Amino acid sequence: MTAILDLHGISKAYAGKPALRGLSLSVDRGAYVSMLGSSGSGKSTLLRIIAGFERPDAGDIRVDGRSVLGVGAHERGIGFVFQNFALFPHMTVFENVAFGLRHRVRGALRAEQEIRRRVEAMLDMVGLGGLGGRAIGQISGGQKQRVALARTLVTDPAIILLDEPLGALDANLRERMMVELRRIHRQLGITFLHVTGNEQEALAMGDRLTVLDNGAVAQLAEPDAVYNRPASARVARFLNCYNIFEGRIEDGRFRRDGLSLPCPKGAPRRAAEASYCVRFDRITIAEPGSAQPDEAAITARFVASEYDGPTITYFFAPPNGKAVEVEYHLSHHRPEEFAVDREYLLRWPAEDALVYA
Amino acid sequence: MNSLGNANTGSIDERGPMSELGAARGAPRATTPFAAALLAVPGILWMVLFLLGPLLMIVYVSFWTQKTFTIESTLTLKSWIFFFSSQTYLSALLTTLRIWLIVLVATFVVGYPVALYIGLFIRNKTIQTIVLVICVVPFWTSFLIRVLAWRPMLGTEGAVNLLLMKLGVISAPIDVLLFTEFSVIIGMTQIYVVFMVGPIAFMLSRIDHSLIEAARDLGAGTWRIFRTIIFPLSLPGVVTGAIFVSVMVLGEFATSAELSGRKVNMLGNIIVTQVGSLKWAFAAVAGVILTVLMGLVIAGLLRVVNLRKEL
Repeated sequence: MTAILDLHGISKAYAGKPALRGLSLSVDRGAYVSMLGSSGSGKSTLLRIIAGFERPDAGDIRVDGRSVLGVGAHERGIGFVFQNFALFPHMTVFENVAFGLRHRVRGALRAEQEIRRRVEAMLDMVGLGGLGGRAIGQISGGQKQRVALARTLVTDPAIILLDEPLGALDANLRERMMVELRRIHRQLGITFLHVTGNEQEALAMGDRLTVLDNGAVAQLAEPDAVYNRPASARVARFLNCYNIFEGRIEDGRFRRDGLSLPCPKGAPRRAAEASYCVRFDRITIAEPGSAQPDEAAITARFVASEYDGPTITYFFAPPNGKAVEVEYHLSHHRPEEFAVDREYLLRWPAEDALVYA
Repeated sequence: MNSLGNANTGSIDERGPMSELGAARGAPRATTPFAAALLAVPGILWMVLFLLGPLLMIVYVSFWTQKTFTIESTLTLKSWIFFFSSQTYLSALLTTLRIWLIVLVATFVVGYPVALYIGLFIRNKTIQTIVLVICVVPFWTSFLIRVLAWRPMLGTEGAVNLLLMKLGVISAPIDVLLFTEFSVIIGMTQIYVVFMVGPIAFMLSRIDHSLIEAARDLGAGTWRIFRTIIFPLSLPGVVTGAIFVSVMVLGEFATSAELSGRKVNMLGNIIVTQVGSLKWAFAAVAGVILTVLMGLVIAGLLRVVNLRKEL
């Protein structure tokens, strides 16, 4: 596989405040890359730069090996699906989808029959067959999302950029659209770059997952690799499934005022600053005093629980520091009742922890 | 009363002289249609007394018999026949139509680019407001002064002629600049253009910039984007502005009198002259024709775009 999109050293600052700091990224042809970043991580800026709506202060963008820095947005052949869909409100669904074919600078279609054939095929493809005559105000949010996608897909772009495409949809629709997006990607083989602030969406959608932090790529790997072995404590924080303790390492043990936890094999023996991460679902809740050798354990007060169907999350307050979350998958556990304000022992195998120094 | 004693009231006992009170108390939020209609009463009363009444009166008076200095309520078609057989009045009607069309086009041609700049290219809402306020600064002086100020500009010894002669573009002053239909059109365009700029700038400022970016991303060039996205979306503003300008220009008499040396007569000028010489019936005929004309123009403009849907 060859890279269809190559970003090299992209930097961009707004009023002196850097949004992107020398970001480099390579996207393989036909891949589905999801990009996870918090708001302000520069992910929207990056998409706008790739699409050509903004110029980077430094760096180069290559599409199919050719630099597109001097090429206008309308001649780059890159599709952009907007978060708010940006459908043309004065046109029908059909006319929205036909817009690119009719009005593009390069290779505009004149033959009405050809336009009709391609637009209708695309509407069928996204599951909107027969809705071409509807006005934009007459269709639902999920249908708008499909129109936005069809409008971009019909112009045969080399890459499709999706800017938080599911952000405006409700939970039920999100999951259906996630399946649909994967199907469309499989069917067309176009390269997708899907930006999101939702870690579950990012993990579910991409063949590859990019984590964007502070204007640069913090990790690029397969989703399960990112999930199980985040490249840094900051990446772990984005994934929103790790308890993270900040402290130091002395004699192979992680220490923070009163806390002393064994480190996994391979961790440094000594560090002045370290982050100790343990996943929510790796922790077992036990009675005080039942600590096992080779296991890490802390005592904490039970605060509250949150039930969300397949899992239940318990919140514990250690003597100092922020809350510790424990997640039980209900297919393996029965929901348990814990007494509020009573102390419990939270323990986990030392090898399940991740330590970054 | 019957309309209030509806099924919702429930028991028969409540239907009586007191049911009105009961209904008003019982439904503090879901106001009855009757109570809501009360809100419109002052407005309706005002419009009937001071607009609809006089309007009907004008139509009525236009059929009265005009004597030299008096008017009698004997109904006749004479004033109407006189209007449509008089070269003066018919040419005033044509002049009105011609000036209206030219000024409408001129305010659009001058105003649209300005509105485009204010509404689309000034991103900062505060600056947008400031610029729009600057546009209405001329309105801080009186209407007549704004009209008369064109005389020292356009006269044979006016600023424009002096400048052109100093620059050597012309050797003798151009005398068609002032006291012609041209000066009337210049004056009206300047006075009314802001009524075109405002509504268009407002509509343009509401266009989501991502629509323009989406169109560009789909491959359209700047002119295409303007033609297919920006202009259609600003059309309600154009129609609103056109209605403002049309209503004001069609009823004009001051600018046409002052800047043409009373040579250009619009329907408004006819009305002023006729009222001045106590020819009420003729003035009424001209008034009815002017009102019908405005009604037709507004109805025509509203057909271009469905304002209720767009605003």
